[in-house]
Amino acid sequence: MNVWPIIKLSWKNIWRNKVRSGVVIISVLLGTCAGVFMTAFMYGLSMGYVKIQLQNFTSHLQIHTKAFEQEEVPEAYIPDADSLMQELKQKDFVTALSARTVITGLAASSSSSFGVTITGIDPEIEKNVSLIHTHVIDGDYLEGDRRNLVLIGQKLAERLGLKIRSKMVLNFQDVNGNISAGAFRVSGIFKSPNSQFDEANVFIKAEDLNRLIGKPGAVHEIAILVDNFKMADQYKETLSDSPDLIVESWGDLSPSLRYTDATVGTTLYIVMVIILIALTFGIINTMLMAVLERQQELGMLMSVGVNKVRIFTMILFETFFLAIFGAPVGIFLAWVGISVLSETGVDVSAFSQGFEMYGLGTVIYPELQPDYYLNIGFLIILTTLIASLYPSFKALKLNPVEAIRKI
Amino acid sequence: MAIIEVKNITKTYNEKQVPVHALNGIDLDIGAGEFTAIVGPSGCGKTTLLNIIGGLDKPTEGSITINGSNLDDLTEKQIIDFRLHHIGFVFQAYNLIPVLTALENVIFILQMQGRPHNECIATGKELLESVGLGDKINKRPSELSGGQQQRVAVARALASKPDYVLADEPTANLDSKSTSDLLDMMHQLNESVGTTFVFSTHDQRVVERAKRVVTLVDGKIESDTKQ
Repeated sequence: MNVWPIIKLSWKNIWRNKVRSGVVIISVLLGTCAGVFMTAFMYGLSMGYVKIQLQNFTSHLQIHTKAFEQEEVPEAYIPDADSLMQELKQKDFVTALSARTVITGLAASSSSSFGVTITGIDPEIEKNVSLIHTHVIDGDYLEGDRRNLVLIGQKLAERLGLKIRSKMVLNFQDVNGNISAGAFRVSGIFKSPNSQFDEANVFIKAEDLNRLIGKPGAVHEIAILVDNFKMADQYKETLSDSPDLIVESWGDLSPSLRYTDATVGTTLYIVMVIILIALTFGIINTMLMAVLERQQELGMLMSVGVNKVRIFTMILFETFFLAIFGAPVGIFLAWVGISVLSETGVDVSAFSQGFEMYGLGTVIYPELQPDYYLNIGFLIILTTLIASLYPSFKALKLNPVEAIRKI
Repeated sequence: MAIIEVKNITKTYNEKQVPVHALNGIDLDIGAGEFTAIVGPSGCGKTTLLNIIGGLDKPTEGSITINGSNLDDLTEKQIIDFRLHHIGFVFQAYNLIPVLTALENVIFILQMQGRPHNECIATGKELLESVGLGDKINKRPSELSGGQQQRVAVARALASKPDYVLADEPTANLDSKSTSDLLDMMHQLNESVGTTFVFSTHDQRVVERAKRVVTLVDGKIESDTKQ
């Protein structure tokens, strides 16, 4: 079948009513652009949330002893942690790691007390793995050589009535099961994107904590960053073969984050499909008008022997042309916008309170995987095909004898 | 030899409710090269008969044979294909495609038949020359007068060298001058090329120029005269 004359006629047909076709093309352009940009923004928002959670709290991988996994007791430290750390540093994909001493205890001030997780860190090394040092809003990070400094969250400071340089006491068990306590001075107050974290965590120097629990050099947790956090599940298999240790990826440590990462793509397609459905109805409306106002002409074409396949093809191409002009331009404009804003970010600090409540950052970096653009293209073609069906069938149902007499 | 053989055709619309008998037992043979006008008052069945002869409608009873092919034996797809290759149509309202030029309108049928592009162009130009529109080939219908548009429609109908051309009230929308010119042109094509024309018309000027006049009244042939 020679379809070229039909395609040529379709092309000319869409310019019969330039304003109407122009409106549809611009609608498709704006709809596609807004849809793609919106999905990129949402993807950036979700990925930003995941990255914030990883950089502030979870890291990409963690190693603990199996005993620690069952119960976070001080004696469940990693044996020969130094050797293990050296081995980990040799791995190509490991970009940073930090040894932590982690115990649960009670933080008490003169007025109140609260259960907390006490994390002993090497302040300088920890900077490579987490962003806690960037969230200090008052006082200092655990700087200098002074002993028994503590970094606490703003929420805990409020609960316990603590300020910078206030004294507080941390109570916990040592490795022998005896109750131990230490008096600490608040060196800094932090405010992370997660207020619940701020209330339940304090940071002190690992050497202070290890001295108090009676085990210098004890390490309960090794936090690791790798070159690609999405590869964490593959990398974890290669990190340790010790039967006493357990290596967990961020997805293992935080299933909700894994779920967020896994479902964000699907969510984005749902958003795009909703936008395309709205556009589909616009296209159907336009094409239906175009068919109904040319009944006489369609009747003539059928009368002189233009078969139904050709009539269908003509309507299909008219619909396709309407969609195909706006969509690529819309996708291109969205790509330009996303490329620029993925570098500069979108400042949403005006809504920071609400965003922080959900553990989100105040700058969103829109981003979109390259294959998404391709899939959007296929979705638009599919949408066009669907949008053309009803007007095409409407045209095919015309009786040429009756249609030829329509005015 | 007849190229159109109509045998005892009846056509009833709205059979199940209030039947309207548009045609009541029509027998008609039309030979090659005839210039036939089907006349009669409004509602006598002229257009219905033309639609049936053109394969656009089916009779309730009776048969129609075109060049030995019984249309009843053809599938819908075959009938569409038959129309494309064997019948030319001229409509009262010209029915040209407004977004195509005169030449493109004429060659559209040829393109649908899958003819080579160069052949289409050559045939189209030749036909437009023959209907006196050689200088208007790139004009769109909106740039042509009614008479000129109907000439383009005739050229389109002739493009595929059909067995016959059916024209439903071809002069109804034309003024006297255009009617006269169109009839001259069609008459000349009939004389020189032997194209078979079948018209339905009210127009006495067309009737006067026809070689054969078939008069229908109430769905029946009242008279069939050659002049």
